[in-house]
Amino acid sequence: MQEYVLLMVGAALVNNVILARFLGLCSFMGVTTRVDTAIGMGLATTFVITVSSMGNWAIEGYLLEPYGLGYLRTVTFILVIAGAVQFTEMTVRKISPPLFQMLGIYLPLITTNCAVLGVALIMVETKLSFIAATLFAFASSLGYSLVMVIFAGLRERLALSQVPRIFAGPPIGFIVASLLALAFLGFSGINTN
Amino acid sequence: MDRDSEDDETATGQATLVEGTARVVAIEDDVPWLEPEQTTSCGGCAASGLCGAKGIGTVASQLARRRFPLPDAPRLVVGDRVVVGVSERALLKASGITYALPLVFMFGAGGVAQWLADSDGITMVSMVAALGVGLIAVRLGGQALSAHGQLAPRFLRRAGSDETCQTTARPAPELND
Repeated sequence: MQEYVLLMVGAALVNNVILARFLGLCSFMGVTTRVDTAIGMGLATTFVITVSSMGNWAIEGYLLEPYGLGYLRTVTFILVIAGAVQFTEMTVRKISPPLFQMLGIYLPLITTNCAVLGVALIMVETKLSFIAATLFAFASSLGYSLVMVIFAGLRERLALSQVPRIFAGPPIGFIVASLLALAFLGFSGINTN
Repeated sequence: MDRDSEDDETATGQATLVEGTARVVAIEDDVPWLEPEQTTSCGGCAASGLCGAKGIGTVASQLARRRFPLPDAPRLVVGDRVVVGVSERALLKASGITYALPLVFMFGAGGVAQWLADSDGITMVSMVAALGVGLIAVRLGGQALSAHGQLAPRFLRRAGSDETCQTTARPAPELND
C-alpha cells in the first residue's frame, strides 16, 4: 500500500505533469480563466487519462511488447486516446443528452492534449503492474487538475488586479505560472523512491 | 429557495453563471433551437478568425450534435446570436457525475479485485465491468439533475456584435487586499 501512495504523490506533486514535465500547456493557459471551467476540464481529463492509460497498458503488455512492435507505440497510443475520447463523447451523449450538451465542449480539446499521450508513454517506460499503472495515470491527472484549479484561482484574482499595461493578459499569466512552478519545485525534496 | 439556489447566489444577489454564445439555427413550434458557437475551449467562437487553434471539434456535424432548445427565450429569429448561461454549481455537479462517478466505481472494483485475486487480468476485467456500472450511475445522476431543471441553459441577453466566447457573468467581488 505504501508503494502505491508514494507512487501517487510522486506522480501528482513531485513530477507534476504541467509544472515539472511541461505537458498540457495549451489547456493550462486556455481553460484556466475561471475556476469552474478548470475543474470541469480537470475532471474530464482525469477520466480520459485514466481510461486511455488502462487501454494503453493492455495494448503495450499483450500486443506491442510481446510481438516487438514497440515502434508503433506512439501511433497506437494516439489511436487509443482518440478512441477513448470518442467513446466518452458517444456514451455521454447516448446516456444523458443534457449532460452532453453541458459538458461536450471539453472533450474535443482533450484529443489534442499532449498530457494524455505523455502520461501513457511515461507509464509504459516505468514497467508498472496494471493497478500501479492505472493509479500512476490517475494521480498524474489529479496533479494536472490541481494545478489547473490553482492557476485558475490566481488568474481570477489577476483579472481584478491593476497590472502594468505591458504585462496585462498572458504575460502576467506566464510570470505567475513560473512562480507556481518554482513553488512546486519544493516538492522535489520528497523522496518517493 | 432551496440550498442549491442559495449556493448559486453571490453576495450581491446575482446568480453565478457560466456564459456562452449561441446562434439560433431553427424555430420549431415557436421554440428556438440554438447551436453553441463555442465548441472547444478555444477556436470555435466568433473570434476564431484571429485564433490559430480552430479546427478541432468545429465541423458541422459536431455543432449539430450540440443543438439545444431554449423555450424561455423571448421572440428570436433564425440567425440571432444570444448569450446563454448555466449555473456554475450545476456545471460542477454535472462534471462530477459524468467523470468522477465512473472512476469511483472503477477504483473501488479494481482495489477489491487486486486484493482478492492479485492478478492484472482479473483486475482489468473487473475495472472495465465497474466502468459499465458507473456509466449506468451517470445516467441516473443525469436524469436526477435534469429533472430539477439544473442542466437547462437560460437565456440571458442578445449577444452584441463584439461579444465572443470570452464572456463571464460573474459580478466583480470587492477585494479587501
